[in-house]
Amino acid sequence: MVEIGLLSRSPLAAVLQPGHYGQPGQDGLVVQERTGLHIVNLAARRGQGGALAVAVQRSWGLELPTTPRRAGDGRLAFLWSGGAQWLAIAEGTGDLELSLKDRLGSLASLTDQSDGRSVLRLSGSRTRETLAKGLAIDLHPRAFTPGDTALTLAGHIGVQIWQLDDTPSYEIAVARGYAGSLIGWLLPAGEEFGITVLPPG
Amino acid sequence: MRIICPLCGERGAEEFVYHGDATVRRPHPDSSAETWNAYVHLRDNPAGRHSELWYHAAGCHAWLVVERDVRTHEIFAVTLAQDVALARRPVTA
Amino acid sequence: MSTASETFPREIAAPAAAVSTRPAQPFRLAEAAGVDRKNLLDFTFDGQRYSGHSGDTLASALLASGVRLVGRSFKYHRPRGILSAGPEEPNAIVELRDGARREPNTRATVAELFQGLTATSQNRWPSLRFDVMGVNQFVAPILAAGFYYKTFMWPASFWEKVYEPLIRRAAGLGRASGSHDPDHYEKTTTHCDVLVIGAGPAGLMAALAAVRAGARVVLCEEDFLLGGRLLSERRMIGNRSALEWLREAEAELRAAPECRILRRTSVFGVFDGAYGAVERVGDHLPVPPMFQPRQRLWRIIAKRHVLCAGSLERPLVFGDNDRPGVMLAGAVRTYVNRFGVAPGRRAVVFANNDDAARTVADLAAAGVAVAALVDARAEVTPEISRIAEAAGAKLLAGARITETRGRLALRGAVVTDAAGTRHNFDCDLLAMSGGWSPTVHLTSHHGGKPVWSEAKAAFLPPSHLPPGMAVAGAATGDPLLADCLASGAQAGAEAARLAGFQTSLPAIPETDGESAELQPLWRVRGGKGKAFVDFQNDVAASDVALAQREGFRAVEHLKRYTTLGMATDQGKTSNVNGLALMAEFNERTIAQTGTTTFRPPYTPVSVGVLAGRHRGHEFRPTRLTPTHDWATEQGAVFVETGPWLRAQYFPRPGEADWLVTATREARAVREAVGLCDVSTLGKIDIQGPDAAVLLDRVYANNFASLPIGRVRYGVMLREDGFVMDDGTTARLAGDRFLMTTTTANAVSVSRHLDFCSQWLWPELDVQMISVTEQWAQIAVAGPRSRAVIEGVVDAGFDISNAAFPYMSCAELTICGGLKARLFRISFSGELAYELAVPARYGDALMRRLMEIGKPLGVTPYGIEALGVLRVEKGHPAGNELSGQTTAADIGLGRMMSKTKDFIGKAMAQRAGLTATDRPVLVGIRPWDRAARLRAGAHFLARNVENLAANDEGYVTSVAYSPALGHWIGLGLLQRGTERLGEVVRAYDPVRGGDLEVEIVSPVLVDPTGDRLRG
Repeated sequence: MVEIGLLSRSPLAAVLQPGHYGQPGQDGLVVQERTGLHIVNLAARRGQGGALAVAVQRSWGLELPTTPRRAGDGRLAFLWSGGAQWLAIAEGTGDLELSLKDRLGSLASLTDQSDGRSVLRLSGSRTRETLAKGLAIDLHPRAFTPGDTALTLAGHIGVQIWQLDDTPSYEIAVARGYAGSLIGWLLPAGEEFGITVLPPG
Repeated sequence: MRIICPLCGERGAEEFVYHGDATVRRPHPDSSAETWNAYVHLRDNPAGRHSELWYHAAGCHAWLVVERDVRTHEIFAVTLAQDVALARRPVTA
Repeated sequence: MSTASETFPREIAAPAAAVSTRPAQPFRLAEAAGVDRKNLLDFTFDGQRYSGHSGDTLASALLASGVRLVGRSFKYHRPRGILSAGPEEPNAIVELRDGARREPNTRATVAELFQGLTATSQNRWPSLRFDVMGVNQFVAPILAAGFYYKTFMWPASFWEKVYEPLIRRAAGLGRASGSHDPDHYEKTTTHCDVLVIGAGPAGLMAALAAVRAGARVVLCEEDFLLGGRLLSERRMIGNRSALEWLREAEAELRAAPECRILRRTSVFGVFDGAYGAVERVGDHLPVPPMFQPRQRLWRIIAKRHVLCAGSLERPLVFGDNDRPGVMLAGAVRTYVNRFGVAPGRRAVVFANNDDAARTVADLAAAGVAVAALVDARAEVTPEISRIAEAAGAKLLAGARITETRGRLALRGAVVTDAAGTRHNFDCDLLAMSGGWSPTVHLTSHHGGKPVWSEAKAAFLPPSHLPPGMAVAGAATGDPLLADCLASGAQAGAEAARLAGFQTSLPAIPETDGESAELQPLWRVRGGKGKAFVDFQNDVAASDVALAQREGFRAVEHLKRYTTLGMATDQGKTSNVNGLALMAEFNERTIAQTGTTTFRPPYTPVSVGVLAGRHRGHEFRPTRLTPTHDWATEQGAVFVETGPWLRAQYFPRPGEADWLVTATREARAVREAVGLCDVSTLGKIDIQGPDAAVLLDRVYANNFASLPIGRVRYGVMLREDGFVMDDGTTARLAGDRFLMTTTTANAVSVSRHLDFCSQWLWPELDVQMISVTEQWAQIAVAGPRSRAVIEGVVDAGFDISNAAFPYMSCAELTICGGLKARLFRISFSGELAYELAVPARYGDALMRRLMEIGKPLGVTPYGIEALGVLRVEKGHPAGNELSGQTTAADIGLGRMMSKTKDFIGKAMAQRAGLTATDRPVLVGIRPWDRAARLRAGAHFLARNVENLAANDEGYVTSVAYSPALGHWIGLGLLQRGTERLGEVVRAYDPVRGGDLEVEIVSPVLVDPTGDRLRG
């Protein structure tokens, strides 16, 4: 990160405090706000989808998904995000946008979304039941598996969700301005199962 | 109603925004006032199968052409509007 | 009885004291399939204490306690008892609970008993005081509960003149609590391969078949126990009792990992692609458990659906068939077998079918005397004769009940046999059965019409079922247990197969013998008293006849004229009898007469559960700006603009109202510098080789010519020629633009751009994405704004007027290397900038700018002041961009390019849109400068009548201008540009205003624009 004289502030600073909520003694849902993520939207230039996939493969050894899937891992992943569109998500301190620009040139239009989205990690044995109270998509293991992603609604809020593993754990991204409202839905939905909110990380 | 988005899969109608008739074509700019009026204002209202434009607003932001029976809500086909549009006109260089 | 009479008075005498002896349940039997006799529960009905057991419904517990009279009928206030044992109950409608949780119009037959339940009868008189008196005079259980009603049945002359008007005034049956519901409700969605509706024998078999095939199954049962009629009958399945079979089936389903069993869950509607169900999570408890909702709405999305909703028994229509103690025969068996309750001491059974004879056997087995079996059919089977004989019941074939006795409780019945001879029987229970109607409601939610079967004397599911639905069990019209098991297994296996699973039909167990032969009897002629068809709405056979005589012969007319089939039971016990009578009176067949349309919901659904969590401030999500927490600290008052909460103004101590505050804020911008979070404006990143081409097509003015590093104001039209939106667009690179939209239209403009690029011009190489949330954007406006900006911009970036003139933009760094974007644009008309940083730094940037600006008099301003500043400058905003104005109307006509095509160009040339007398944007000021203007006032010439015909336009926006020291406004006035200097009236009949205003240029402050270029 740049050494700047301004402090960053999470949209959840006032609404998501670490601790335990809801049903005492139970941990059906674990919530953690993700920090330090670089998120860049890639939209393939017309007719360049194939070349873009080749460039991604060559540069990072990852197969750019053409269906709602995620390729990669926590360090760098390409998340399908619509037709010929992906979110590149990386942890760490490098300038993701610059590194993508260097390698992909004019094959794709790049847009920084690191601040446009808030990302939560959700895990715990009752995560699916909690999510079902807002997301109408089928998250059953037969229908949605690690690596799958979906753009959908949580209640009335647009979200993108992707599954990390089958414990199960997920990450869910929401437009920053709606992050507080998403928490306003999520915590009441999960309280019957008991919720642990971890410090951001 | 559930619509199978060609990109996202099957979703409830609440994720989509209805636009209207997908059979009308934007006229050439020099077209007559009558042609423009027909394009902007005149719509058939068939009782039965219809071709409609829907927007996957809460999903991938794709415009879709949905073939639907407006009486029963049975859906016969869903296609990306862009593919439909490209197929009907030559791509300019 | 003696036990009861000794027990009750003692308890009433000391109601608050700890009770060592619970009220007796004189009608409780030794055996019960579905209640736990060891677990005693206390409850009250109309203030009187009773006891029951877990597993009871309120209805069964009341019957066990000897309570027969539970309410008054809606129209005639006739004494009514419990008719059924299920959701079809028309009579036993009560208020449950008290205080804020009081719930009116609840069916006692489905209300699960819990410790401390409070129930109150509805639609009855007396006052509470009389209630207590009635209890004090309690004599015997059967009579007791109804004692106080007697008081008010008498004298009869009071009934119509005094009691009825009073009671009618309180009509509508139950009372809403009038308080906020203290419980919460929630919604959830589940997906499965096979949804099975109903867990009777057919539903259980269907679920077993599908589960064994590996399908994901959801099994919904509206009762709190699985089993359906198996709980109510003494049957054998596979050489064991049906209850044993039920236990095993339930255990297997519970153990299946992919089977979700939802008890207390009513599937109430078939919608397009989803089934709606309500799970009563906490209705059977005094209050819902911690963190649990009262009710949960399930949206069930299944590949296939098997409807096993069973059937509902029909009453028989005969004189005074509504006395407390007249009950459906199947319900009698339910109370006897499932709940272990004798609904009476001495019974008469009246039926037109074989099935009802079971009632005789079951009552006799439970020790209830059966005086007679009255079978309407001339001939009955030897089996029925045998049952009657074994029970000691007199069998009267070809006979009818023509009269009943008793007022508050049934005392006897008169049977007229085939020869016309009258037989008088004393009885306190009359079990009746007119046959069974398949529960086809859900089958017709997609418009299919149930089909009448003459052979089965029933409406059967339509051939055109909702997509993916199959029907099994008694709902098909085949009620025999053996058929139910077979059709359920078949339908479940087939559903799993169609959902993509390999299936085999499960073995179908044998059952004991049975018969359901029936001969319709739609009414008993020549009887005495009112013969009710619809108990809930007090519709008698004579009312149907009256409707027919008066011409209301179509079924939908019959329903609306007589109210037959309306209210909470939706005609579950009455529709078929009503239709049959109408057919008879019309001299047509039932098939010709048809049936009314079944629509959701199948059973009453609370509005609360439909709303779920979306109530109060959770009604819809709220979008917050990056500086929201800071603004909250500043004491900002917020206002909703679309989904956003924006700071409306920042009051300071001592400021009387918003106007004082907004005036101070606006003045600070004109005289010093102000800060306003403008992040809510839509921001769209538009990239690609054809970005400029797209902009040229969506904006009326040119953008291809915009140099890099410059900003241009643009206006876009709808295809019909009216203005859609406006905003500034900056060119960041040759192939990259940043468009801003109004806050209100951000979403619709995005959609529009996607429409243009995907559908109208799919060949364009352009990529777009919203960056509204990525950037926190703060307007820094006022003569001292440059000094503030200079305080944050990193060295090396020259923002002098020469280097960074009006309408410039740059990507730069601030505060030691933070990427930022600076735009020299102005909504206020002052020297102004908008500074954008990644949203996480918005809060800190605002604080930094406040700090830097402190010596310069920096003032945060909200959207009220923003509005003042823009009205002073004549900038159109939402009130002017109303969707009814053209670019020319709001003074932007010259922006419309003549050299290119763009959206809306052709239609903007329409005669109506180019007419010279259209209302156009003008400024106004009051002739009396001290007067206050009001938006919405209409322009009228000075000497005309106040008529719509003389209307020349209206005031769109007003503001108190601190710069000018008086109110000013914008308006749309016919031929306004020609009328500068003219005085017209701003006539406001709604608020009683009639002011003279002067027409002036819309730009009232700094018309030459020197300030913003300074």
